[in-house]
Amino acid sequence: MSAALRPTSAIPLPDATTSSARPVIEVRDLVKVFGAGRGSGADSAVRAVDGITFSVGAGEFFGFLGPNGSGKTTTMKILTTLLGRTSGSVSVSGLDLDRDPSEIRKKIGYAGQSIGVDGDLTGRENLTLMGHLYHLPGALVRERVQELLEVLQLTDAADRPAYTYSGGMRRRLDLGSGLVHRPPILFLDEPTTGLDPQTRNAVWEYLRRLHRDEGLTVFLTTQYMEEADQLCERLAIIDHGKLVAAGTPAELKAEIGADIVTIRLPQDEQFDARRSRAVDVVKGVAGVEGASVFDQGVTVRAHNGGATLVEILRVLEREKIPVKEVAVSPPTLDQVFLQHTGREMRVEEVKPMNRTGFRRGGRQ
Amino acid sequence: MATETTTESVYGHGFPRISESAATGVGGLFSEIAWVCYRSLRKLSRNPFLLMFTLLMPLIWLGLFSQTFGTLFSKAASSGGAPALPYDYIAVLLPGIAIMTAIQSAAQSGFAMVTDIETGFMDKFFVAPIRRSSVLIGKLLADGLRMAAQAGIVLVIAYVFTLAFHWRIPFATGIPGDLLIVTLAAAFGVAFSGLSNSVALFTKSTESTMMVSFTLTFPLLFLSTAMVPLALLPGWVQTFSSYNPVSYVATAARAMILSGYNWTEIGQAFAAIAIVGILLNGLAVVAFRRQGR
Repeated sequence: MSAALRPTSAIPLPDATTSSARPVIEVRDLVKVFGAGRGSGADSAVRAVDGITFSVGAGEFFGFLGPNGSGKTTTMKILTTLLGRTSGSVSVSGLDLDRDPSEIRKKIGYAGQSIGVDGDLTGRENLTLMGHLYHLPGALVRERVQELLEVLQLTDAADRPAYTYSGGMRRRLDLGSGLVHRPPILFLDEPTTGLDPQTRNAVWEYLRRLHRDEGLTVFLTTQYMEEADQLCERLAIIDHGKLVAAGTPAELKAEIGADIVTIRLPQDEQFDARRSRAVDVVKGVAGVEGASVFDQGVTVRAHNGGATLVEILRVLEREKIPVKEVAVSPPTLDQVFLQHTGREMRVEEVKPMNRTGFRRGGRQ
Repeated sequence: MATETTTESVYGHGFPRISESAATGVGGLFSEIAWVCYRSLRKLSRNPFLLMFTLLMPLIWLGLFSQTFGTLFSKAASSGGAPALPYDYIAVLLPGIAIMTAIQSAAQSGFAMVTDIETGFMDKFFVAPIRRSSVLIGKLLADGLRMAAQAGIVLVIAYVFTLAFHWRIPFATGIPGDLLIVTLAAAFGVAFSGLSNSVALFTKSTESTMMVSFTLTFPLLFLSTAMVPLALLPGWVQTFSSYNPVSYVATAARAMILSGYNWTEIGQAFAAIAIVGILLNGLAVVAFRRQGR
């Protein structure tokens, strides 16, 4: 249903997926199909990533914004060498993913969606282990670990097993374990999912500092509009494995250009007919830039939204189209998402166990 | 917020980026394995309950078998139903019990693998510039040390009982032979843990791992000469046990307790361990390489 509703006018500028800075992550026509072959039948195959092209510049804070199941995590797992791909080319830090996976691993830090912290080990032991797995000399490991514990404000809890940590502390420790070897590129898969707003703000602050002070390139995925808006210098919106829009948050919002009037219609048997009639008639109203449908009604891009709204409602009443609810808002990333996908983005907090990411497609 | 002034650096004070200078090589390989192994052992030490039962389990088996099978056979012997032996029957069972503890630990080996995958910790290993084999070898090394400790406890306690309660166990080869028995038991355990790890990696399920491993553990033990000497087994079990690697390990170990080194048997035992190890751990390596494809 949503595919049919997707407006065709919303094709992003090709340049917006490319960074102007020296690219350190370059992805071209990336495709990942799960469950293909192996006798599982073609219909069970899922195109989790469906031909993605983008690049991230050195020192850039880049974000992938999209709902659950849109292909964000799959893309990130491919870029971090954790998952194979079906086709397409990927280079990270100028290194080819197929030829130099272990060189790439030295240059990246990664903090996954499920917090990869060993609860039986203390915070210090977790970080120390990672330092040694990156082959750092012992003295340097001790120094780095102490430094990170201080920066992440875990000094007091450093010698307690990590299972005693709060969610925010575990998230910080997890972040730290991706930073022991001082990677120039940091990959973060939904770094604040499941955190309370206060802790979320604290994590944002750490990320901003890392990025600002060290010129760290950050590639982050998120399903929070606000997170993308606050942190990312440039972002791409991903839906059903495809990039639907890319640019700076300001550019994306400016693309909408005007206020957004959201009109929700009653969900009865005449909904479809009224909705298409409504789109047609509001387009004729003075001040309306454009209108498109979404699953609950119609969104209208309008200059001087408040005044235009009055006229819109008058026209709808004349056409005998009942209105359930209206709202006027300045453009947000929510609107950008809606504009490009024809759906509102819903955040799902409850996540399944991390089994899917590891399974090789469908079961036999 | 974004000012030009340099605030406290997260990376410290102007170090070069470490990732540029990371050293690898053979030393690096040993270091990787050692750290993965250290981590597994540290986890064990952080779980007092698990540690306690890890060490208690061999004791329980020893007590159970000496009191049931041990007395059964001595009673049979005294009534003329079985040949009288110059030692207690527990001496015959002892190597079997040592192997049994190792097999039981081997059956659980895959659990930690499932947990690491579910928590995402495995990703940390995979995203680090280490060989994937190091993750498996380091874990097996830790398992092997744990099994050696368990088998060692069985022998030490049996020795204490021999001194304190006049159990009649010959310990024909002394401490060197006992160390070889511990090595055999642990080596077989490591070889057999390939099964548990393979099931764990293919199914990603603790329940499946438990079922497959535990279901196979007891047939493997009781359809071998580990618990009952070959002559006393029914015909078809004799046939089966001659293909059962556990028999070879048990026979070689038993000789070291009762009579002395039999190098042919010891050689066969290590060969059996090598075959099991290569097959099952080879399967585990295949399963491990499949991760994230």
